[in-house]
Amino acid sequence: MKAVLTILSILLLLLSCSRTDVIELTPYDNPEVPLHIPAGFPPLNNSVAGNTPTKYGVELGEKLFHEKKFSGNNTISCASCHNQSRAFSDNNAQAVGIYGRIGLRNTPPIQNMAFMKFYNWDGNILQLEKQPLVPIITHEEMNSSILEVIGKISSEPQYTDLFKKAFGDETITPDRIYRSIAQYEYTLISADSKYDKIKQRNEGEEFTASEARGYHVFQQKCESCHRTALFTDQSFRNVGFPLNPSIEEAGRARVTGIPADFMRFRVPSLRNVEYTAPYGSLGQFPTLRAVLDYFDNGVVDADNLDPILKANGNRIPLTEQEKHDMIAFLETLSDSTFVGK
Amino acid sequence: MKNYKNFLLLSAFSLALMSCSKNDNNPVANDITLHFNNTFKNTTIVLGDAGSFTATVNTSAEGQVHHFSELKYVISNIRLIKTDGNEFPYNINDLDKGATVVNQAKPQTLDYVLSNIPAGEYKQIKFGLGVRRDLNTLDQVRFPNFYAEAGANDTKMHWEWGAGYRFTKLEGFFETDGKEMSIHTGSTVVGTDGDPSTYAQGVDAYRDIILDLPNPATVGRNIPKITIKADFDKLLSGKTNTLILKSKTGDNNHNDDSNATPNTMSALQMVKFVDNLGGNGSSDISGMFSITRVTN
Repeated sequence: MKAVLTILSILLLLLSCSRTDVIELTPYDNPEVPLHIPAGFPPLNNSVAGNTPTKYGVELGEKLFHEKKFSGNNTISCASCHNQSRAFSDNNAQAVGIYGRIGLRNTPPIQNMAFMKFYNWDGNILQLEKQPLVPIITHEEMNSSILEVIGKISSEPQYTDLFKKAFGDETITPDRIYRSIAQYEYTLISADSKYDKIKQRNEGEEFTASEARGYHVFQQKCESCHRTALFTDQSFRNVGFPLNPSIEEAGRARVTGIPADFMRFRVPSLRNVEYTAPYGSLGQFPTLRAVLDYFDNGVVDADNLDPILKANGNRIPLTEQEKHDMIAFLETLSDSTFVGK
Repeated sequence: MKNYKNFLLLSAFSLALMSCSKNDNNPVANDITLHFNNTFKNTTIVLGDAGSFTATVNTSAEGQVHHFSELKYVISNIRLIKTDGNEFPYNINDLDKGATVVNQAKPQTLDYVLSNIPAGEYKQIKFGLGVRRDLNTLDQVRFPNFYAEAGANDTKMHWEWGAGYRFTKLEGFFETDGKEMSIHTGSTVVGTDGDPSTYAQGVDAYRDIILDLPNPATVGRNIPKITIKADFDKLLSGKTNTLILKSKTGDNNHNDDSNATPNTMSALQMVKFVDNLGGNGSSDISGMFSITRVTN
């Protein structure tokens, strides 16, 4: 009798084991989302391999990206500042967060993140998965906490369903939130502009005469920093823009502590630049024309001013015609599909 | 009969008491209180606003008067070293149980009680000013209590954009016209799980402090109290750097290493303050800290 009981209980145990196994072994069909690497782009950030986008991971990330419950008073989502129609940036000089609080810097666009080595104007983040927490807890942005966010969304069936589909069970963890948002952002690849059709894919379209002249000027006077098909060499440079007076601003030196990095900022990509005004880390310039005029007139001098500018008398001389043509060329970097227009 | 019963009860009670006191004679573990005395030289600091008449005013080696309105720092990674050399780590991997924010404005934070310390004689204490790299993330799930304590509105020790927690936060005023000073320190190192090979950039503002006790702290029947002096005179007049606060001027390069900005909220210029407060990790392993006394 005893032996029978023992065997029975062991069987029961085994059964209960296999039961859980069955649950785990029948995940939703959640295929990976292949990332197409556009011609001329640099290699993927190493973190992408550790967080490959999946169908439901991306779907969840997109939903979270638009979730206003991320903010303390349910008014601000990631998309509030990172607006698709502006290549996931906004039109404010400096970011505007909860209760209208003003952030330190201009909202950077979110595009082609999978190919970036550094994130934000000072490159403080090297892995996209580490970024989402920052706005959630920052006083001027969402002013909340990750457990507050989880508390708000955990009772919503849409979320439990998506977490299950994306990660195998309904548990909502901070890490899963960060990973799914990053997955969504990895899929935001913009490489379908007129420039791409002409220069990268040879699809028969042609630059107008003005665009072609602008491209020529660009190659001579801009390309040394705005390199590759990403249109940034991902370096940090002081180009002598008007300074942010905030005592918190130190540019790249904020992170590295290196005096030579003072007021150096990440060279921004120029893709979709038509949609991302105003320009500069402080939104110093309302239009592209204003940026070009500023470079033409001469920038603020500094010991660590970029050597290329120094070698050219602290300016990028441009004629009226060149400015006109350059803007025509820069507008060929607009990807209307990407911004949903 | 009733008396007899009472007598029995009383005896039992006394026996119980006796057994208790017997245990107390040789407890296997007890507490240690760390008392933090934040000073300018030998004077305990009184905080005060810009025009305060009561705030403790200090004069730096370079002659700059200054006082604080806010003074906070994080202590973690506490280790106690017995006279036989054995080290007792105090919840060093658990910020909820082993880390605290010392806040001059909250007297209760000036005494940090270490509980359940094995009985014995201790000759040395080690602790960290700040949070060790591998634990320095704003992980609310792992350490909800420390996260809440550090993030409270009257504490503000989350370094949102940096690598984790603020390690020190000093607000105050300097020179006779009361210019604002604001010294925040914290790490900006970026990497994975405390693996140094993955640290690609940034500054580690954590400092390990090692202090010998003037006489052993005897944990057993009594609760020793170790008074740790944190002499903020060292901020500007430290063992590593003698600093002159200089506000931002027309020189926007901030490259002048002979001076220090009165407003450090990032890695830039931060290390000279960190080295003064927490030592440089090599020739100076005590920074502003010293042991005033150990009472057993």
